[in-house]
Amino acid sequence: MSTPTWDEFAELALKRIAASGAEYGDIRIQDSHTEHIEGEDRRIASIRDIRDTGFGVRVLYHGAWGFAASSVLSLEEVPRVADLAVEIAKGSTSIALEKVRLAQEPVHRDRIVTPCRVDPFGMPLEKKTDLLMSVMDLLHRPAGVVRSRASLWARQDRKLFVSTEGSHLEFDLLAGQGECTATALHEGRFASRSFNTPHLRKGYELIEEADFMREASRVAEQAVKKVKAPLVEAGEYDLVLDPEHLSLTIHESCGHPSELDRALGYEANYAGTSFLTTEKLGTFRYGSQHVNLVADNTEPETLAATGYDDDGVSCQQWDVIRDGIFVGYCTNREVAPKIGATRSLGSNRADGWGSVPIVRIANIGLEPGSATVDQLIADVKHGIYIEGHGSYSIDQRRYNFQFGGDAFWLIENGKRTHMLRDVIYHGITPEFWNSCDGVANRSVRRRYGFITCGKGQPGQSGWMTHAASTARFRQVQVIRGAERS
Amino acid sequence: MTGASGKSWPHMTSRDEFHFLSDLVFTRSSADHTMVSLHDHHAGTTRFANNQVVQNVDTRRGTLRVTVAFDGQHGTASTTDFTAGAIQDTVTRAERIARVSPVDPEYLPPPKPCELPVRETAKPETVAAGPSRRLEYANEAIGQCRMENLLAAGAVSSSMTAVGVAADNGLFGYEQQGAARFSLTVQAGDTTGWSAAAHRSIDHLRVQERTLAAIRKAKCGREVQDLPAGTYPVILEPAAVAGLWAWLLWSLDAKSYAKGVSPFAGKLGHLVVDERISLRNSPDHPDLLGDGFTREGLPSFASIWIAQGRLQQLAYDRFTAKVDGVDPIPTLDAPVLSVDGFPVASIQDLVKNVERAILVTNFWYIRPVNDRSLLLTGMTRDGTFLVEKGEIVSAVKHFRFHESPLAAFQQVEAWTHPMEAVNSETGKMLVPAMTLPRFHFSSATRF
Repeated sequence: MSTPTWDEFAELALKRIAASGAEYGDIRIQDSHTEHIEGEDRRIASIRDIRDTGFGVRVLYHGAWGFAASSVLSLEEVPRVADLAVEIAKGSTSIALEKVRLAQEPVHRDRIVTPCRVDPFGMPLEKKTDLLMSVMDLLHRPAGVVRSRASLWARQDRKLFVSTEGSHLEFDLLAGQGECTATALHEGRFASRSFNTPHLRKGYELIEEADFMREASRVAEQAVKKVKAPLVEAGEYDLVLDPEHLSLTIHESCGHPSELDRALGYEANYAGTSFLTTEKLGTFRYGSQHVNLVADNTEPETLAATGYDDDGVSCQQWDVIRDGIFVGYCTNREVAPKIGATRSLGSNRADGWGSVPIVRIANIGLEPGSATVDQLIADVKHGIYIEGHGSYSIDQRRYNFQFGGDAFWLIENGKRTHMLRDVIYHGITPEFWNSCDGVANRSVRRRYGFITCGKGQPGQSGWMTHAASTARFRQVQVIRGAERS
Repeated sequence: MTGASGKSWPHMTSRDEFHFLSDLVFTRSSADHTMVSLHDHHAGTTRFANNQVVQNVDTRRGTLRVTVAFDGQHGTASTTDFTAGAIQDTVTRAERIARVSPVDPEYLPPPKPCELPVRETAKPETVAAGPSRRLEYANEAIGQCRMENLLAAGAVSSSMTAVGVAADNGLFGYEQQGAARFSLTVQAGDTTGWSAAAHRSIDHLRVQERTLAAIRKAKCGREVQDLPAGTYPVILEPAAVAGLWAWLLWSLDAKSYAKGVSPFAGKLGHLVVDERISLRNSPDHPDLLGDGFTREGLPSFASIWIAQGRLQQLAYDRFTAKVDGVDPIPTLDAPVLSVDGFPVASIQDLVKNVERAILVTNFWYIRPVNDRSLLLTGMTRDGTFLVEKGEIVSAVKHFRFHESPLAAFQQVEAWTHPMEAVNSETGKMLVPAMTLPRFHFSSATRF
């Protein structure tokens, strides 16, 4: 007997769901292939080739959810798991006060494929390990560097989504990333400096275009300068933040609070709730007039641009903050109707076949302004220029935040001068975004992806991209990260 | 083997089946060394919020990982498909990687065969627990909160895992592990109370007791006052202590120590915290989630890491352990933190004995600020209170802290016996609740 096709497995599951009397059901069958090469201190420490295959069945029965999943894709297991999902959903009805009502979505039949010039899995492994070894050699070249890391990551997801409503979606998605880090030691202190490509839905051309050799030399030199740099003086500074740094600030202080499930209390026990409560929609001043944060799950190469989400809703673009006012949430088919929306914005994603989809941050980016980076800096008397990611922490409603960075330069009288170390800034989200008085133009816009955004119980890792141009913030509290402040 | 047996499915991969699978791998492998590890995990979670179920899931994932090596060149491949064809493909992928990998100067052959402890922690009641048992607990928590006109958000989970490790030199280990977890956040208007538990036995989650504790916290928080940031005496409940100590434990890496990029650099054998504090690993403790062996095939065993405040042990990878002559390599899967002397009986007694302090239920989003000093930041969460003259006076708006556990735990003023501690960002530990004379809060938030 030949092995059944994924479509045949899907049909088997959906028939069981339909026979149960459930009002909705879907199945996701997925085969994920990950290659992760990690170098450490001039050696290749590990190369892992991971195949993760399985399926998940989601059922909505009398307004309550059930979900079951298995890594065994067989004619016996698919109906067992489908029946289990129905049974679980029936159980959930006993504690479902408010019935789930899904927002309407047209039926879609489509196939989504990530465009790729160079197949990362077809690229000879030796070429990749040679690259990492050369990068680590460069990282160790400056005196004072004591540790190095370099890695390459690629993932291919083949997925089929089929729903009882008739949607049939096939996906063949790619993503990749590369990075390297040098750690320097000086007088008992140590400091690291990193370069990383963004996580993007591209082939190996992402790595080839990155010029790792030049970047490795640069970050190694800067690691040594950073560890020897003077400690920042605590106080108020104007901050000029680069796009990579801003991607994390956007993620934590705008992305998470704009998830509607958080605002409605779904994540109260773990990831937290949101200060952007529903009565603020359309009226709350989140930032200055320079702040326009747009969710765009249609931008090619970005992580959340998958054509459709795991509700089978097509990817869309919408405003989250327009001219500083909070105007939009990230939603799925379950929560969208709770704020009167007739359609989901398509932000429901699971991190694999074994997880149930939940509301996820979209590709939220800061819209470019009109200034150049030089103009932003020229108008700063006493400030700090920050690149990259460092320490980060934020309260569970996303008000009180604190960020470090990967590299810091003092700005004096309109000029970027020498490096600083141990810079930490903190504030309250709306106050911070209201202090934004300039965003650089589109020519410096960059995109950075996240693949480890933690949310949900059991925990899931969300994927999304945040784009930004360099931006300036006035009079932000800076403290020293070297000591209790 | 993989589900064709029909009615009995899903059963976890048994010891005999893992033997069969690993032998199949060894037969197909042409490498100098071959290792196989198994992680067959079956878990269910019922999640609730706003007093109703919002998510109810059951997932089974079996993973087989194969690592092979030729003359110090190694590669790893894994699969979730346990059919013979997929296993052959996994061996082939691992070999293909190994043959083109650069020689790893730190590669070591699999550990020599030894008797690996088997801690059969798969309690029958946890194994048998399914969606209905989880719903029963969810219902209990929700019901209690509804009666008080409060909102419950939480999760109940149970899991069963078959774990195995085998090498072609005869090394073999297999055990079954069960675990159950419960966590609850009770919302009373703008304030919250929280409680959590994890245990090998689902019967030991004490859902009613935990629910009442979270309700008490939430109700205590109904009057909230603003306090300025600054340095205060604190009473840290066990979850808060565990949150800080987790980062201390994660910073014990021996290789970083050797290269001088560790917060403990030069401190092995020296006083790092209050000289009455000790930290042990106790994998046999019935209230902890200890393992029999590590993924590398090393036995887990009882050991002492900090004795009377002095650092005794680092977390070793096998290569660094060989360089440093450390054998056997201590594991830290079941931490117990204790304080010598005379503990008080309860957290209430800690409260009674302070003139003025901040009582912290839990911390949230703890992250390192400075790796050299192990300076951490994070927020208080789900119950932060002002204590004056031995009584809780009011809740206070949550604080951000800026503190290093290496500084904060230099002096412990009062403490309880070690108690169960679980929070959302760390595993389970046994730690005392503690009163510390100085703890630095750098700012406050809006709620």
